[in-house]
Amino acid sequence: MRFRRRAGGRGAARPRAERTTTAVLSLRCLAVSYPGGVQALRGVSLEVAPGEIVGLVGESGAGKTVLGLAALGLLPSSAEIDGHVFLGDTDMATATDEQRRVARKRFAGAVFQDPMTSLNPTMTVGRQVAEVTGSMAAAIEALERAHVPDAPRRVGQYPHELSGGLRQRVMIAMAVAGAPALIVADEPTTALDVTVQAEILRLLSELRDETGTSILFVTHDLAVAASLADRVVVLYGGRVAEVGPAAELLQQPDHPYTAGLLAAHPSPDSPRDRPLPALTGEPPDPRAHVDACPFAPRCPLVTPACEERLPQVTAAPSHAGLVACLRAGEPHTSLLQVQDPFPDQASTNGRPPALRLDDLTKAFGSRQSQHVAVNGLTLEVPAGGAVALVGESGCGKTTTLRMAVGLERPDSGTVEVGEGGRPQLVFQDAGASLTPWLSVGEHLEERLRAEGLAAPQRAERAREVLALVGLPISVLGLRARQLSGGQRQRVAIARAIAVPPALLACDEPISALDVSLAAVVLNLLSRLRAELGMAILFVTHDLSVARLMGDHVAVMHAGQIVEEGPPEAVLERPQHPQTQDLVAAIPRLRSA
Amino acid sequence: MAASEPVLSPVELTRRRRAWAGWVRLGRLERGGLIVLALTTAVALLAPILAPNPPTTAMPAGSFAAPGTDGLLLGSDELARDLFSRVFYGIQASWLSALAVIASGVLIGGLIGTIAGIAGGWVDTALMRFTDLFLALPAAVLVIAVVAALGPSLPHTLVAVAIVWWPWYARIVRGEVRAQAVRSHVDAARLAGVGRMRLALRHLLPGAFPSVLVTASLDVGSLVLILAGLSFIGLGSPPPAPELGAMAARGMPYLFGHPWIPLAPAIAVFLLAFAANLAGDGLRDLLEDH
Repeated sequence: MRFRRRAGGRGAARPRAERTTTAVLSLRCLAVSYPGGVQALRGVSLEVAPGEIVGLVGESGAGKTVLGLAALGLLPSSAEIDGHVFLGDTDMATATDEQRRVARKRFAGAVFQDPMTSLNPTMTVGRQVAEVTGSMAAAIEALERAHVPDAPRRVGQYPHELSGGLRQRVMIAMAVAGAPALIVADEPTTALDVTVQAEILRLLSELRDETGTSILFVTHDLAVAASLADRVVVLYGGRVAEVGPAAELLQQPDHPYTAGLLAAHPSPDSPRDRPLPALTGEPPDPRAHVDACPFAPRCPLVTPACEERLPQVTAAPSHAGLVACLRAGEPHTSLLQVQDPFPDQASTNGRPPALRLDDLTKAFGSRQSQHVAVNGLTLEVPAGGAVALVGESGCGKTTTLRMAVGLERPDSGTVEVGEGGRPQLVFQDAGASLTPWLSVGEHLEERLRAEGLAAPQRAERAREVLALVGLPISVLGLRARQLSGGQRQRVAIARAIAVPPALLACDEPISALDVSLAAVVLNLLSRLRAELGMAILFVTHDLSVARLMGDHVAVMHAGQIVEEGPPEAVLERPQHPQTQDLVAAIPRLRSA
Repeated sequence: MAASEPVLSPVELTRRRRAWAGWVRLGRLERGGLIVLALTTAVALLAPILAPNPPTTAMPAGSFAAPGTDGLLLGSDELARDLFSRVFYGIQASWLSALAVIASGVLIGGLIGTIAGIAGGWVDTALMRFTDLFLALPAAVLVIAVVAALGPSLPHTLVAVAIVWWPWYARIVRGEVRAQAVRSHVDAARLAGVGRMRLALRHLLPGAFPSVLVTASLDVGSLVLILAGLSFIGLGSPPPAPELGAMAARGMPYLFGHPWIPLAPAIAVFLLAFAANLAGDGLRDLLEDH
């Protein structure tokens, strides 16, 4: 029988395993499950060598965050741990609370996604860093090493006084202050702008070169992992799907899942007239017990043998790594096949523009401390056209969008909307844009009722719209929390297009989604735009997405449009420094 | 609704299973509390059927009969009335009074809170200052004033308590509505062309239900105690109405000779308040699971 124990208890019942390698972090058959039958990790073996940067990639629910927490010995006490996690020479799976604390202090540092919640809001950053470094002078030094500008002044400031990027630098300063052998970084750049993300990645890489620390970098973005890591680990359904040297693995993936993720990733050279090759289906249920390949239901190369047993992790045929796939190394041509182009767009000739923003301004706050969000912005979206609005957070792009759809009134300037249904908005967080206690059917019904449709027509149109966005009729009675992330996004889009709007405004609808899901949503929006002949105003911080979605790209900075033009021109010959920064910061899968 | 399928979908089944799992995960005490809450309400409603004797009629067993004599489970009081039946009716009065005060609080407070939360601006300010005014009233003094002016009776006491009780609900509802109003689902509904009234009733107000429900259920216990206390000092129904606080007060002289007379209603108050608090905790845990 296997011995199990609860984290936080004493490991008396477990045979002691000895560490045998020089690895900084060594996982052996690590399985973690939670009450309620959720199996977050199902037997992961992995080693992180000294000075190595390992990128841990996977969809949400793949178990990557749990793995990071397990490495730090920070799993909640309700988690059931099986296997071993050696951090230095301490087995974090069996050690006592005290032993784990000591091991963490000696060997590990951590950087999490949201520095605002991991920093103490009631302490100056200097005192927080000094808690690790011992003295304020050392704290200033640590901050300077993390390239915090003007560190001697910053130590006296509180977290809320710093920008997101600076807060993350403070976190990194704290993480490296104790000269740890390993830094666990869990999505440290997900909440940041692309340009800041690029700086933070550069900083981590420099710190590794200077101090020789290892980094376990958890991310859902393959391109981010590719730009930083020496080695990439792809997790799927709580298991390792593929491990390999970053450059080789991305050049020649052996697992169809990795190949699918790569293909679905929007890049500056994806064809614009056809869909991204997206993975079909949904990630596996973390509660389900599977004896087959967990990827089989979504795999284009699936064979009957795949559904019979779990594939073993074996040496990868194309790179110096490991892969868990029966058909590893076979060419994934079916994944890379050329997609059919989008249907021809319904004719919009001679129709007035879908949206015309003329000299818009909008300021927030009181007269004493006014913040001008939008400052004299002029923009036109032709009927049936697509304009992508790109910019960093705080540049006023969301405010512009809200004024365009009528949620916010401009201080001056005019908003003219073309003919068609009232403009609609697809929100960044689709789950939050659905009323939690109303069903999908009620949401659609409400949108149609507002247009004065009678009940039978409403029910019929609701079904049509679900078919358009690719959802089964059975979701009509479900509420937001009963849907998956992808389904929520589709429902939000279904409501927005239930009455084809003159303009569909999209506020970063994919920035919180996994790569495969993002591709599905982008494809859906492009197809709907062509089929319904509606115009799209697409807001994003990612230029490669902007290029894909917009016939016309406008770059926004400090409340104004600083550069606009056809996507090729903007990406290839950026004129304004802001555009140049954005172009330089695009995370790329393959180095050019 | 557009599609209500008669057969339960798998998701629906999971939801039921989850609700059941939530029930199982509750502590034994909280679970007991919810059961007791249901039982108490049933007992309160069925008191006239369940009580063996009328509450104000003298029994043939005579005054001060010990518990158990002549089929009287808790004996008889100084006026030969069946104590068991009187406690029954007393529970009914306490329980239903507490629920009535809460219902009025939820109704009045909910209405004012909703209007303030949705309207915002000066309407909000005016309504909330009005609410603060009532929060500042001293409850006991107000009750004494009302009873002094209108004469002692249970409805008068309840009106007085209700006057100081609703402001809490107004604040909760207003706060929750304001919190919902800045969430993007409200913007989305507005873009979908939903009217003001519908927006308020369908997209804002239901967000306040969980907090109100939890507060209300935790309030039942306090109200049982407050009403019993007021009745103990003579601010309830005039005799011979069976009211737990008044019964305990009038039984005090017999505490040493015939202890069951004051103790039976006192213990009933204690159990009622205890059960109500447990049930409130249970309800809160159950809602937090969702």
